[in-house]
Amino acid sequence: MAEILLAAEDLTKAYRSGDKELVVLDHVTFTVEQGSRLAIIGPSGSGKTTLLGLCAGLDVPTKGTVSLMGFKLNAMDEDDRAFLRNQYTGFIFQNFQLLATLTAIENVMVPLELRGERNVQPKAKELLTRVGLGDRLHHYPSQLSGGEQQRVAIARAFITSPKILFADEPTGNLDEDNAKQIIDLLFGINGEEKTTIVIVTHNLELAQKTDRILQMKGGKIVDERRL
Amino acid sequence: MIEYIIKIKRNIRPVWRDRWVWVMAWRDARHNFSRLFLLVASLITGIAAVVSIGSLNYSLQETLDQNAKELLGADLVINSNKEFEKKIISILDTAKLTTAGDAEMASMVMFMNTRQSRLVKLTALYGDFPFYGKLETQPANAYDLMKSGRYAMLDESLARQFEISSEDSIKVGTTIFKVAGIVTKIPGGGALTSTLAPSVYIAMQSLDSTGLVQFGSRVNYRLFVKTKDNAETEKTINTIKPITKKLGYSYETVERRKEGLGRSFGSVYQFFSLLAFVALILGCIGVASSIHIYAREKRDEVAVLRCIGSSGWQAFNIYFIQVFFLGLLGSLLGAVAGAGIQKVIPLIFKNFIPVELPFAISWEAVAEGLLLGALVSVLFAILPLVAIRFVPPLAVLRADFAPASVFSKMRWTAIILILLFPVLTAAYQTKSWLTGLAFAMGLALALVFLALVAMGLLKLVRRFFPKNARFVFRHALSNLYRPNNQTQVLMITIGLGGFIIATLNIIQNSLLGQVEFTGNKNQSNTILFDIQPSQKAGIIKLIEDHHLPVNQVVPIVTCRIQELKGRKVEALQADTANRVPSWALTREYRVTYRDSLHRSEEIIKGEIHSYKPGQKDSVWVTLSEGMQESLLVDVGDSLVFDIQGVPLRVRISGIRKVEWPKDPPNFIFVFPTGVIDKAPQIWVATTRVGDVSEANRFQQELVMTYPNVSLVDLRLILSTVENLFRKISIVIKFLALFSIITGLVVLAGAVVNSKFIRIKENVLLRTIGARTRQIMQITLIEYAYLGLFSALTGMILSLAGGWALCRFFFEVALGVAWVDLFLVGGAVMLLTVFIGWLNSREVISTPPLQILRKEG
Repeated sequence: MAEILLAAEDLTKAYRSGDKELVVLDHVTFTVEQGSRLAIIGPSGSGKTTLLGLCAGLDVPTKGTVSLMGFKLNAMDEDDRAFLRNQYTGFIFQNFQLLATLTAIENVMVPLELRGERNVQPKAKELLTRVGLGDRLHHYPSQLSGGEQQRVAIARAFITSPKILFADEPTGNLDEDNAKQIIDLLFGINGEEKTTIVIVTHNLELAQKTDRILQMKGGKIVDERRL
Repeated sequence: MIEYIIKIKRNIRPVWRDRWVWVMAWRDARHNFSRLFLLVASLITGIAAVVSIGSLNYSLQETLDQNAKELLGADLVINSNKEFEKKIISILDTAKLTTAGDAEMASMVMFMNTRQSRLVKLTALYGDFPFYGKLETQPANAYDLMKSGRYAMLDESLARQFEISSEDSIKVGTTIFKVAGIVTKIPGGGALTSTLAPSVYIAMQSLDSTGLVQFGSRVNYRLFVKTKDNAETEKTINTIKPITKKLGYSYETVERRKEGLGRSFGSVYQFFSLLAFVALILGCIGVASSIHIYAREKRDEVAVLRCIGSSGWQAFNIYFIQVFFLGLLGSLLGAVAGAGIQKVIPLIFKNFIPVELPFAISWEAVAEGLLLGALVSVLFAILPLVAIRFVPPLAVLRADFAPASVFSKMRWTAIILILLFPVLTAAYQTKSWLTGLAFAMGLALALVFLALVAMGLLKLVRRFFPKNARFVFRHALSNLYRPNNQTQVLMITIGLGGFIIATLNIIQNSLLGQVEFTGNKNQSNTILFDIQPSQKAGIIKLIEDHHLPVNQVVPIVTCRIQELKGRKVEALQADTANRVPSWALTREYRVTYRDSLHRSEEIIKGEIHSYKPGQKDSVWVTLSEGMQESLLVDVGDSLVFDIQGVPLRVRISGIRKVEWPKDPPNFIFVFPTGVIDKAPQIWVATTRVGDVSEANRFQQELVMTYPNVSLVDLRLILSTVENLFRKISIVIKFLALFSIITGLVVLAGAVVNSKFIRIKENVLLRTIGARTRQIMQITLIEYAYLGLFSALTGMILSLAGGWALCRFFFEVALGVAWVDLFLVGGAVMLLTVFIGWLNSREVISTPPLQILRKEG
């Protein structure tokens, strides 16, 4: 049996809006094994992104626990969780989230430089070439198309060889052609690196490429399918 | 059951060893220099103002010191009513101090050309007096000639009155002196304000030959001492103090003379301090507001950094490093600009500054500026930057996510230090803790008031929203209370800028009003004395016939003290424990009587008691502050005066603070009317004469009609004082301009910063079809609302602030130049609208897609 990389246990997340309490995640429990690919799907407002944020340690649950790589995220402070993310995780977002003031190669280098590593440029260059941007290393995000920006984001996500990759609607802002290219790229590198993937998506084509789908509705997992 | 690891080993590097934050700081800064331009600009103007104001302050103090020295002619003047004892001369000789001296007495002189006689003040000079300033004569060699032997010099007015030329002679005592020339200006002339006769000058070696100094003669001696610096003056005073007290000598220093010139000098220095403080606070506002906006803009990027593993401190350090180094750069450029301005001013203002000012760079002011700049850029940047530490990584997924507020020691330390900063800097600038606290409280009150007005305005706009108004008006108004808007911040910043600029204007006007009052408008420049009671009406008519103002007509009665607090003067002099100086006990006092205060006086203790006929209790008099200290008396104490042979017991009813140079004559003792009205007395009248020809006509008719009446032309002294004040007023106006420029930079900064908040919405409006004209109108109306309400609030606040500062800090009358005030208010509003218009131009000239992609 594969090692459990991510475990969510009885996760509940509630927000207070005036006098009312809004429960966006309601007692969610699941695990993710190493090397697996998980898709979380569901309608808008079903709690997918909140679940992803909690699993990646971007937020803390109101109740329940999340363990990532065996580390209990609830018990850590924000800086420890940031350290953990840097060491073991990668991120891809719907709106790319590149640093506007950094060039493509600088954006890719940031996670390794953050670890204190030196001479990371060759590795960043290699990754950018791999995603087809070898000739656009020194372009700023504003000089790149949406598809190109997402490729830079993928290179940035994989440069640390993460154990687990979190992706939030990675094709949400892209046209069909670009979306297909990004999906191929994402799963291509994933196949080579044996990275665990957790994807939040509306894109069923993308979800079909994973080996497990969690269907969410009203803050609960209402269906689970293994493909 | 899952096993959890709850501890993680993390290598925390200090900022100087964390290479990544330095690299990121540089990479990010490359593209943010324009955004941080306002930070640098605020510091450049603020620090330039601090350095140049500081330097000018030092230069001016030096010049004023020099001028004050010129008014005294020496660093220290020792006065005595008898010849100086060898003891004191030998002390000064031992200390190797340069000395000069004079002897003054009242004497009759005869003008040989007309055989007319006149009572004058005879001054016999020796040594190289004056040590500061010039004794100006006509012809120029008259002073040297006088020193050489039997030559005399005359005051200009006396020579004119008796038509004396250098060919004539005068007889002083038993000796005839040839007239060497006339004295047009003499340092130490300020002393004339306390005497009432024109002067004749001779050399000290010729005094004995006149036979005027005999046993019992009333002669006042002065010893002029030149020292290296203030420290040596103080040291000398400390050495001679026991002897002066014992022998009844008094002394005067430059500092005392400056005090004697009134509070204007103090006010000027305080105003400079206020200007520097204001420039600094405006700089702080500029720094804080630009960093506040910068930190907001960086929120998304920080969230990404946090997401990929940056700690809160690392994210903070990236931006802190940028701000710190740009702050240093701004301070350095500000200090260089401030020093440069010092060099440029003399070139620009050479035609406007009547007396040369040494515009030297004060390295002390430069160091102060650099230190303050670094401090301000760190302190006022920390608070907005602390927010970066707490940007949640979740913001990458949910842009509007707001985390619960986190307690931060650093934030609270910064808040406390920021609250202390104005107190400490104001206390440092004004050398007073109380003033520092008052300044800071005033600023805090202004901030609270502005915030309340802004909140109230937003509520009013919502409550009375004009639903049927045109779209552009409705949209512009609703812009004021949209989520994430900057209305309150903008209103506070613009209002505060307007408030400070307008307050400066009010203070400047109030101070200049005081300066003009003291130096020019109503100040008497001609004193007529020896007027017999029977001549009083005639003299007043003569003055009025020449269309001159009758400023004062006061009686003078001479008297001496016989008893002080129940003890005879002789007994006091014999008492070794007595601390009242002998000169104060034995001098002749010239007193007057009136039941009201003169405009140069105010009662600081007690009150004025009028005398009612038939009253049986004591006669109550008022006494000047300085003499109260010398005589060691207080309200309620009794004295007995010998009024030309008649003893009169009086009690002190009040103490007066007297500004001696302001509209003389002023008096030490003032009696109530109805007590000494019948005592032998002379009258003094004062007026203000315009030009020389007018003075000549008046003086000639005076001497023809009333030959016994003497005239003293105070213009000799006033010209020195006036020059000083004119010089100061130009400097005040120039330095105020500096702080205003800093305020304008902050104002522009506040509006430009709001551009980044407005730009996206305007582009969206444009995308969905709003026409250029509509966007322009919306923007202009919105900024007009902002500018109008901020300016109005600022102006109202400035009246309150100006009043408080005038009343409690400068102690001058509030002088509001309403036109100036409305101009400032209008300028603040127009500038807000103008910069808003500039902002919109960029939105309109840029394709919407370009901005949407940039912002997206």
